[in-house]
Amino acid sequence: MTQNRFDPKIIGEFLNFGRNITEAPMKISIPHEVRIGSTEFDVVYKEDKMRLLHFKPLTAKQVKTPLLIVYAIINRYHIFDIDPKKSWVKNLLEQGFDLYMIDWGTPTSLDKFLGFDDYVNRYLDNCVEFICNESDVKKISMQGYCTGGTLATVYSALHPEKIKNLVVTAPVIDGWKDTTVVSNLTKSFDVDKFVDTIGNMPPEFMYYCFSILKPFEQGVEKYLKFMNNINNEKFIESFLKIEKWLDETPPIPGQLFKEWIKGIYQDNLLIQNKMFVGNRQVSLEKLDMPIFTQVAVGDHLVSPECSMPLHYAVSSTDKTLQLYPTGHVGMIASSFSQKKVLPELGQWLKERS
Amino acid sequence: MQNGSNNPYDYYKKTAVFWSDMITMMSSKPTALSAVGPLRNLSTNMKKITAEITEANKEIVEFNNFLIEYYKQLSQTWTDAQNEVTAKTSQLPKDEEGTEAYKRVWIDNFENYFTGLFDSKKFSENYNKLISKELDLMKRWNVVMDVMLKSANMPTKQEIDEIYKELHSLKQKISKLESSTKKSDKNDAE
Repeated sequence: MTQNRFDPKIIGEFLNFGRNITEAPMKISIPHEVRIGSTEFDVVYKEDKMRLLHFKPLTAKQVKTPLLIVYAIINRYHIFDIDPKKSWVKNLLEQGFDLYMIDWGTPTSLDKFLGFDDYVNRYLDNCVEFICNESDVKKISMQGYCTGGTLATVYSALHPEKIKNLVVTAPVIDGWKDTTVVSNLTKSFDVDKFVDTIGNMPPEFMYYCFSILKPFEQGVEKYLKFMNNINNEKFIESFLKIEKWLDETPPIPGQLFKEWIKGIYQDNLLIQNKMFVGNRQVSLEKLDMPIFTQVAVGDHLVSPECSMPLHYAVSSTDKTLQLYPTGHVGMIASSFSQKKVLPELGQWLKERS
Repeated sequence: MQNGSNNPYDYYKKTAVFWSDMITMMSSKPTALSAVGPLRNLSTNMKKITAEITEANKEIVEFNNFLIEYYKQLSQTWTDAQNEVTAKTSQLPKDEEGTEAYKRVWIDNFENYFTGLFDSKKFSENYNKLISKELDLMKRWNVVMDVMLKSANMPTKQEIDEIYKELHSLKQKISKLESSTKKSDKNDAE
């Protein structure tokens, strides 16, 4: 008779895992009490739920052209400043940039009729006007991340006279070329019925979409790793901050969501120059300012094929397309972004500011 | 049955509407004395609510069918992934390294199988039909809520939406006015 004998190390590991589960609540902070964001800022402008944040400078000498970061409409802006060592914001301040960022806030039912026109021609334009007046400049630099990259692109195409440099980081541009699970779900999605019945796009629906992107790496392996590392203070701190950020997804205004799904994913209007915002046609050929497109090769939220077409659709002669061997979040909040992405971005902007 | 239909759903629907009509007619006479009283509201509203609930039954059945298909797809994918994991790991040693290798194979395999499912047309179609039926049920619920809100003299969803729309339009107009005022002030200053 053969005996099933297990390596004692496996039994030890199993017991350790059990002990970690028991001890975790005593050793680790309550996730919702973890503080994220460390760089100081002032709220300099507010409109409805939207806030314009102005970060306090960290250098005496500043780059002349202010930089406005247009954050995405999914999750909150904190990812840009989640940890002092991986902070996008802090790095740019240390490079001498006069830095502003938009926090879109948390829309309620009252905001369900806000669409592209409101986000681009009202909120974004009012922020740009405010910064120009404050800084006494006629043009600013703009950086948009993810869906914020799309908003920044649309804004720059409609108001090119106010944009000196445009930086887009993982923007959603060519919906038909997107190969992610999100794009697959939107193909036969009845967005009119959804918005008419529910109103705003609820966060729960987005959590579902996130959960099927990498279901086992993100839903199982990540938490096993967490339990095995409860004594690693740095790992736990970083893990909890990211988890808290992921858990704070605000709803998306119904009208904006409807225009987004139809215009970008289903009908793919933006890349074909057929999109209309506030009765004005959005032509990517109007983008004649210097443009820097940052793409992450391992992006599972916005595939590189979806972002890259922007580089080829614009009329600008000063354009740069840079591919990075990282993921969607890794491109903005990692050691890699501190060592590679941000120095390149800072250099590119300084040469043109 | 009068129309001779053997469909249990039709029978159930007709019975519910018949009795709610009968009760409405029977109760509307005495309650008409207090034309705006709660009892009259209740009796007239009952018919609308019953009709919505009856219609919702059909949608619940369809919703369940899509939900069953949804779980069928998930369980089939799970079985396929597990079979492949078993085939790939049968020769692994039962030591620490073997356990680590098993974990890696398990995660990678399940990730591949499930991402394949979520990327497929059949999943997207069924999932969207499931959501669509859920929305149909939600719509029915909204109608029932509207009937109840109306009887309590509260604004309905549609009326609240109209207010939101009006507010949105006013905000846009104010913003445009502010912006044109700023521009003309700037021009005057220059």
